[in-house]
Amino acid sequence: MRSRLRRSGAALAAALLPAGALAGCGADPAAEAAATAQQRFTTALSTGDTAAACAALAPDAVEHLRAAHGRDCARELRGARVGGGPVREVQVWGTQAQVRTTGDTVFLTRGPDGWRVIAAGCRSRGELPYACAVGASG
Amino acid sequence: MSARARRALRDNGIGIAFGLLFLAALALQAAAGFADFTEQRLADHLLPVSFGRYLTSSAFAVDVAENWQSEYLQFFLYVFATTWLVQRGSPESKPPGSPHRTSNEQERVAEHAEADSPVSARAGHPRRVVFSVSLGATMGLLFLGSWAAQFIAGRSAYNAQQLAQLQDPLSWSDYLMSPDFWNRTAQNWQSEFLAIGSMAVFAVFLRQRGSPESKAVGAPHDSQG
Repeated sequence: MRSRLRRSGAALAAALLPAGALAGCGADPAAEAAATAQQRFTTALSTGDTAAACAALAPDAVEHLRAAHGRDCARELRGARVGGGPVREVQVWGTQAQVRTTGDTVFLTRGPDGWRVIAAGCRSRGELPYACAVGASG
Repeated sequence: MSARARRALRDNGIGIAFGLLFLAALALQAAAGFADFTEQRLADHLLPVSFGRYLTSSAFAVDVAENWQSEYLQFFLYVFATTWLVQRGSPESKPPGSPHRTSNEQERVAEHAEADSPVSARAGHPRRVVFSVSLGATMGLLFLGSWAAQFIAGRSAYNAQQLAQLQDPLSWSDYLMSPDFWNRTAQNWQSEFLAIGSMAVFAVFLRQRGSPESKAVGAPHDSQG
């Protein structure tokens, strides 16, 4: 897993460190946890366990599904077009993360109970926010 | 309080007073910044973070560092620029026509050092040269360090915001060219340059009785004070 990380918790003290001291650090627990949460979501979707997939979503993403389509989360996720595949890159910045797999780009946020997916099935639109099949587009 | 303690407080009044003001202002910035940060996160449909986590966040770090760098740049430029540039009638300036390079005798260094001169003023060449520019160099290094901190923390804070808005994070090189970095930088620089220039010019015509930053009230406008 390629991991490019900057933790906001580093703050000023870490910011004062030479850039090289922070670059190229190895696997980060936060990146691994974010990738695990993403894999849990896509695995649940691919196996048809939409209840588990819904549990991996952030509350706002669940609410968005309900508000946008008037259906509950599990039902809405049945037709979601979300790719999968091995993780290629994880970026963690503060309480936000982006996990790129070979078939998808997923955005996550860290809450009190760990990482949750805020958007999945996302397609790049250049400088515009990603357009996502699940969760709110930016 | 003992007479010795009272004397220490009196003799270090500027450093102590501004140190306390700095801490009070930093605490105020932290409180107000936390409230603002919380509002922004709620607007982005993100969970609020604790005050402790905010204090160690890049969002707080960049707001602190961007102001530090401009202040140290201000003093770095002021220390060096006043070696070369003059402002007639300003107590902040050397008199017009003064030589840019001063002699060892004027600076009381090397063989002209006096009994109470710092040891470095009497020292050999490398040490004496370093000591001779230590004030400006320290300000310059603090500026560069603070600016680097602003860059690193700024990129971290910006990228967290990018991800929250479902956008890609920026690389080092992209952030170096980004409007966010240069807007934060330039908005602080312009105010410092304005403050330096206006202080030097105002001090030609205006007075502050009792302040070493001012000429004597009765001093003519065209004297350096």
